This record gives sequence, C-alpha cells and structure tokens, in this order.
Amino acid sequence: MKRLWRWLRALFHGAALDRELSDEIRLHVELETEDLIRTKGLAPEEARRQALVAFGGVERYREAQRDARGVRWLEESLGDLGYALRVLLKSPGYTVPAVLVLGLGIGATTAVFSGVETVLGHLPYPKDDQLVRIYEQNSPTNRWWLSVADFQGIVANTHTLSAVGAGRFGTVPVSAGGEPQSVTAASVTSGFTHALGVRPAFGRALEPSDDAMGAPRVALVSDGFARRTLGGGARALGQTIMIDGQAHTVVGVWAQDMDRLAGIRPEVWPALQLKLPTRRGPFGLLVIGRLADGVTLDAARRDLAGVSQQLLPLWTDFQDRNARLTPYSLRETILGDGARTMGVFAAAVLLVLLIAVANVAGLTLVRATGRWRELSLRAALGATRARLVRLVMMESVALAAAGAAVGLALGVVSLKLLVTLGPNVPRLDQAQLDGRAISFALLVSFVAGIAVGAYPLLLLVRHDPGASLAGGERTVGGGRRSNALRGAFVVGEFALALPLLAVAGLLLNSFLRLQQVPPGFDGDRVATVSVSLPAGRYPDGVAAFWSRLLPSIDQVGAVEAIGLGDALPPIAGQTFNQNNFDLIDHPVGDGASQPVSDWITVTRGYFATLKIPLLDGRLFMPGDTGVAPVVVVSRAWANHYFPGEHAVGRQFIEGGCTSCPRSTIIGVVGDVRYDGLHAPGEAMYAPMEEGRWEWGVHLFVRGWVTGPDALAAVRGAVLAADPGVSLDNPQTMAEVVNESITEPRHVMTLLAGFAVAALALAAVGIFGLLSYTVAARRREIGVRMALGADGQAVVAMIVGRGLWHAGLGAGLGLIVALVGTRWLAATLFGVSPTDPVTLALVTLALLAVALAACWLPARRAALVDPVEALRSEA
Amino acid sequence: MAERADLLQGTLDLLILKALVIGPLHGWGISKRLRQLSDAVLEVGQGSLYPALYRLEDKGWVRAQWGTSPEGRRAKFYNLTKDGRKQFAAERSEWRLFSAAVEQILEAT
Repeated sequence: MKRLWRWLRALFHGAALDRELSDEIRLHVELETEDLIRTKGLAPEEARRQALVAFGGVERYREAQRDARGVRWLEESLGDLGYALRVLLKSPGYTVPAVLVLGLGIGATTAVFSGVETVLGHLPYPKDDQLVRIYEQNSPTNRWWLSVADFQGIVANTHTLSAVGAGRFGTVPVSAGGEPQSVTAASVTSGFTHALGVRPAFGRALEPSDDAMGAPRVALVSDGFARRTLGGGARALGQTIMIDGQAHTVVGVWAQDMDRLAGIRPEVWPALQLKLPTRRGPFGLLVIGRLADGVTLDAARRDLAGVSQQLLPLWTDFQDRNARLTPYSLRETILGDGARTMGVFAAAVLLVLLIAVANVAGLTLVRATGRWRELSLRAALGATRARLVRLVMMESVALAAAGAAVGLALGVVSLKLLVTLGPNVPRLDQAQLDGRAISFALLVSFVAGIAVGAYPLLLLVRHDPGASLAGGERTVGGGRRSNALRGAFVVGEFALALPLLAVAGLLLNSFLRLQQVPPGFDGDRVATVSVSLPAGRYPDGVAAFWSRLLPSIDQVGAVEAIGLGDALPPIAGQTFNQNNFDLIDHPVGDGASQPVSDWITVTRGYFATLKIPLLDGRLFMPGDTGVAPVVVVSRAWANHYFPGEHAVGRQFIEGGCTSCPRSTIIGVVGDVRYDGLHAPGEAMYAPMEEGRWEWGVHLFVRGWVTGPDALAAVRGAVLAADPGVSLDNPQTMAEVVNESITEPRHVMTLLAGFAVAALALAAVGIFGLLSYTVAARRREIGVRMALGADGQAVVAMIVGRGLWHAGLGAGLGLIVALVGTRWLAATLFGVSPTDPVTLALVTLALLAVALAACWLPARRAALVDPVEALRSEA
Repeated sequence: MAERADLLQGTLDLLILKALVIGPLHGWGISKRLRQLSDAVLEVGQGSLYPALYRLEDKGWVRAQWGTSPEGRRAKFYNLTKDGRKQFAAERSEWRLFSAAVEQILEAT
C-alpha cells in the first residue's frame, strides 16, 4: 500500500522528487567542497572540482535514481505518448481525417451495440429464462391468444408451471375525479405479476383474493400515472379511480423503471376477475407462466399438450384437434422480429467500421513509409528497436484514444438518433450508453488502433532501421509491396461498401413499392379518432350511444359520412378481432383446424365513409342486426375461399358455435389492407350495431376540414352525446397510412445513412490512394509526357488504375451481396433479394462515385509540367 | 592518499544501516562517517549511496525527513526505523557468519 503510494508519488510528482534530489546533491557537493577546503587547504575552485569528480556523473546518477523509483518505463512511455501527440498534432492532414473516420466507425458501432445489447439482453425479471408466454397453436404459422377456459384449464391442471397469469389489454376511459382520459389498461390476474416476480414500489401486489368474482375492485398504477393524476407514489394508495366506469381502489404503485411488464406498457393495472366461461372461446387473453425450477420448455410443452387434450371434450364449440396450448420463451415472443432487424443493423455497422479501419490503415501506411527515415535516424542515434516499437505504438494508442473520445461523443448522439429514428423494436427505447457500452467502445478502439498501427510495426519487425540508414536506403515499404497492400485496402473498402449499398437499395426499392400499394380505401378528407366508452354504461350494445351521437355530429356541419370500426387500417399488429369459421359448402371436417380471418366490426356508414367499393351483393341494412347474423367479405377473402364462384349467399358457422344460427355472406367489398400494406387484405365484416361495444373503437368522419378546429368540434359533439366518453389520437387517414410505413421508412433511412457513410469512406480511400500514386509517380508521368503522351492518356491511365481497384472491389462485393441479401427476404416487399436491377444500379452508383474520386488526382497528374518534374528529381 | 578497498556487493546496505544506528544523518554525513569509521579505507561512491538510500527507504528500513543540518543548511536526514534496526541486527549476524567462514577458508592450510 505504502509502496503503491510512493510509486504513484514518483509517477505524478517526478519533478518535485527531481528537485529534492538536486537539493540533496547540491548540499552533498557543497559540504564536500567545504570539507576539502578545511582539511586539505585547497582553493575553493579546485575543491569544488574534486568534489564533483568524487561524486561521479550527476546526470547518470539521477537516471539511476529514477530507475530506482521504478517508474522509468512509464515516464518514458508518457514521454513517447506526448511526442506522439505532438507529431499527430503537427500533421493535421493525417490526424483529423483519421480520428474523425475512426470516431465515426466507433460511435456508430457503439450505438448499435447498446441497442442490440438492450434489445437482445435479459428481461428485467429474476430468472427470466423461466418465463414463458402461452399460445394456442394449430399449425407452425398460426398461433393465437388464449380463452378464459384455456387459462382456467391450465391453472387447474399444470404441473410444470409454478405460476400462471392472464391479462387483457385496451384503451379505456379512466378518471380520478376530473374529465376521463383515454388510458392504456392491463387487467391482469394476480398470477401475472407473481410469475414475473416483481413487486410494486408502494403498496402491495395483486393477491389471489383480488381475482375472485365479486371481490372489491383494486388496481395498481404506473409511477407516471400516480404522479400525473394522483399526486405522487405514496399518496396514490387508497385513492379511488374510475376505470372503464367502475370504481377501483389503488393498492399499489409500480416503480419508475418498471413502466412495462412482459413487453406491454399500460398506465393502470386493474385486477382481472374472470367469469366462469360458457364456451371455449373467445380467445382474447395474454397468458404468461413461470416454469417450475428444473423444468425444461419441452416438458412444459408436453404438459400443456396434455391440458389441451383434457379441455377438448369439455367444449363442443371448439373442436380443433390440432390446437395445442404451446409455451414460448417470453423473451423471444417480446423480441419478435426485432432480432432480425437488429441483426441487419449490426451487420451494416460492422461493415462501416471495417471500411473506416481499412481507410485509416491505408492512410497510416503512407505515413509509415514517409516516416521510415525518421525512425532510421533515431535508430542510428541509439534508440533501441523496442523503444521505436513503443514510439510507433504510442501513436496508434493516441490515435485510437482520440478516436474513442470522438466515438463516444458521437455514440451518444447516434444512439439518440437510433432510438428516435430507429425501428419500432421492443425495448430499444431503453438503450443507453452504459458502462458495458463504454467498455465495448474502448475495446473496439483498442482493436482498431492495433489494426491501424499494424503495418508500421510490421515494418519495424521485418527491417532493421539502423541498418537502413547505413545502407543508404531512403524508404522502406514505399515500393511495390506497400502499394499493393494499399490497393488491397481500397479493393476491400469497395467490396464492403457494395453489400451495404445493395441492402439500402433493396430496402429503398421495397419501400417505394410499398408506398404505391393502394390501401383499399379513399382516405382523402377523412379524419379519425379513437373513442372509448365506459363498458358498463351500454350493456345492450352501442345503438343507444350511436343514435345520440349521429345527430350530434351532423350538427357540426360539412359532414358527408360517419362510420365506426374496431380496426384502423392499414396499421399492422393491432389487436382487432380474428375469428374462426367453418364454411357449410367446404367444411373442414371433425377435429380439423378451421380457417381464421380478420373480423372487423363496423357500422353501416363505415364503407361509405372510407369509400370501400361494393363489388357484389349488398351492404348492411338496419334490419340486419339482431336476427340471423350476416357478414360482408373482402374480394381477397372471396377469391381465397370461393375461387371462381359466387360468395354471396354462402353460409358458415361462426366461431365454432354449432348451436348458433348460421351466418350468411351478403356482400363482397374491395380489399382493405388491415394487416399493413404488404398483407393481402382478407377480411370479414360484421355489423357493429349487432355486436358488443369493443374497447378502443375508431370513429371515421368524411368531409371535415381537418385541423384543431375540427377536433374541437368532434370533441364537443361526442361529449355532448355522452360526457363519460374519452377521445384519443386524432389523425387524418393520410397520416395513418404514412404511420403504417414508419417502420420500413426508418429502417431504410438508417441503412441508407450507413450506405452513404460507406460510400463516402470508400471514395476517400480511393482518392487518397490515387493522390499518393500521382505524387509518387510524378517523375514517371513527366517522362511519359516528355515522350509525347498527352494529358488525356495520363488521365486515362490514373482513372483506369483507380477503376480497376474499384471494379475488383465491387465485383467481390457483388458476390458477398448475392449471398448476404438472402437474409433480407422476409423484410422485403415485392423485390427479390437478388433483384438484378437494384444490384446493377448500386454497382453503377458505386463505380460512378469511384470515377469522380479518381478524376481529381488524374487531373492533377495531367497538369504535371514534364520539365519541372524531371528537373526536381534529377 | 590511503589505500582503498572496493565494497563487496551487498555490504553497502549493512554499512549504511550501521552508520545510522548511532543517529540520523544526511547523505554526506553518512559517507563521511563511513570514511571515518573505516579509517578512510572504504570510500562509498556517492553514485551508489543515494540509490541505496532510496532502496532502503523503499523497503521501509530508513525514513527520510527534511531538517536543518548542524551547518545550518536544509538537508534530508535519514533515520533508522524499527524494521531497519531489526534488519541491521539480522544482517550483522549474517555478515559475521559469512566473514568468519571466509576467514576460515583463507586461513586453512
């Protein structure tokens, strides 16, 4: 400990120690001098001389003393580092681009690393590997949510799960005294939070007694909701809030960082009280479970398959023998496609980093050959090879450190960019530059520094700098081999840039096609807003509300049509209904899986409001509600199930309810892309006046001049019809369409950014190579011109050389692209991953940029004055 | 000038410790005392004295402190620590053993 302190003192107070030492030496010499004068009677001058001689070399002794302090190597290294910094600062033409390029690569890589690490990392629950999400599944591609019967069956029969919980989600009106707000709510059973293993910050978690039918209604709330509405965490406890028209007592508040559970992000968490089911469906519960200690996913799968077998004979309305309760790792289900998206980003950013390193390595190579003379001179003056290696290494270290600093600064910015601009990947918004990201950045910088400084080191190892000067060698590595290496770097840069450009090109192409897909409705002058109505208030359907709202909105004026629907096309991944059905004409047979379709519940005015064309049969009429159920189907649906036949008039059994009256198809309408613009648009429509009011219904109004005034008008009209209603998320349909392709646009934009960076770096690389070539071959060019070559021939020679490298790189890159882009197939819409037009275009673009980058050095070569060139080197 | 002997490797530490047993001294004082005690036979090269002092300080056998010399000058005084005294005792008995053995060999017939 004491020694460490002494060592540190020696390190940081070297100057002070040196001063003390000088004082000590001075005193010694003075005392000796006086002693000599006194005892031997010498003259002061002579006495001092003898004293000094007796002492020995003062400087040598000081060195020895410093060695004894044990910090010499470090002091020298710091000296070298200082020297390296001075050298780097003196050549900003090399240092600034090198640091910036390295910083760019490091920053982008670090940002993407943080994103990937957060997205792919552990969930914030104890033993998150044990958590599963349970689906109903009847084929490898078709899985859906669970029903109350499923959930209760699992709870009663499982022996592999230590906890099971169910939740149901939606936007509901919530009020704490004032005007109701639209708030996302998750009604969950006590098993839900129990399985996750999380506790609220204030109050208590849900208990099994809260789940029982008729128990006092309680709820937990998020930290944000408690602050905003209830005056803070602790004070929220015991307050009463109205959730969906029912009074709930707040018994707990989640911690601030626990703003989402199992991937969902609600504000209020009422206890879910499940009724005993009367049939197997409907399937609207999200169910999660925790594997008991030591239980594998496979064992749980077998266990739950057994539960499925037990449930099958109990309910006649659902007889799909293929349907199995199937557990999936919760982490994987939350992640979904995020892994692939983040994989594409990681690959792209790695390519950019490699190009950046190759670029700086190329720059360093040129410098190394130029500095060989200096190193030789140092060797001749007595520097050991080890010392020279250290000197060169310190330069790489300084460069990498500066790169890391720039990279970290850029990393903060890029991560913000990634999070805001980035794809809608679960948990990405939680990414931050934490200690691990910083260590990662430092590691990347370290490796980059080694890669960049490798060549000068190799030169030092291979050649003896001392011998070099003696032998009259002026440069080493300036010759053929180093130039070939440099060329290889440029080829590599182009080979890496091309796949990136190809990916960006393919995504752009795919995006442009997606944008041109007609959504299936006319959204011009249509505004939409989400309407949530307290569920308890209209137990007999929405007719009462609707009949009051319609005249109320009509009074606003300039309204052409109004409609309600429980889906908002074309935004994919919404939680609108899906329903199974069995066609009377084409039954699936006993025990087989029934087809499933999007099941959109709409009012009569919906089709007119969105101008969805009627192609066959008729639309809903007032008499349709209540008696024998009727549906309207989309053209894609009709073509799928009745190819070449008339669909109108056909009947089916809905939702496996064999005892219910049969449903009849009364009309066929145009396709609306409910599952996103890329999906086919099969859908079945049921009349809303007949069904129950759903959570989060969308109101569509045609004819409004959209804007804040219109919103105020609609708010007034709706609240006049019922002040308990909450309105949310007003948009024009054009905005909705735009929003539906936000994700591909963001992915494309980010990758285009990477591609442009790669392109710019490759261009800089080839520009640097050719500029150096032109400078090095000035004399040769002069000779050629003196012998009669004209400027054009010189330009052609230089450009040809550059394009050869670029072309070779692009060729190699094409091969990589052809293999690599296959990975993108699932992300692309309407474009093959090896689309020849896209690949040809990006190759041409790359070569065009290369040509431009070659042009400037070539022009300079053509302007060489032969006489001057020959004279200067003669 | 009197005849001088080279210091045997490793004996310098012992001599410095011995010089300091009597009391704290500064660097020049140590070299002067060693010269006196050996009747000017042993001359400690200053080039090795100070590094040795630093080494001893590093090992914790001597402690250095700035003070005022009898000549009225600011000087760095070296002091024997408790560990230093123990070390001196140990090294002295080791040396006696060693020198007796060498003597015995040289006197052997």
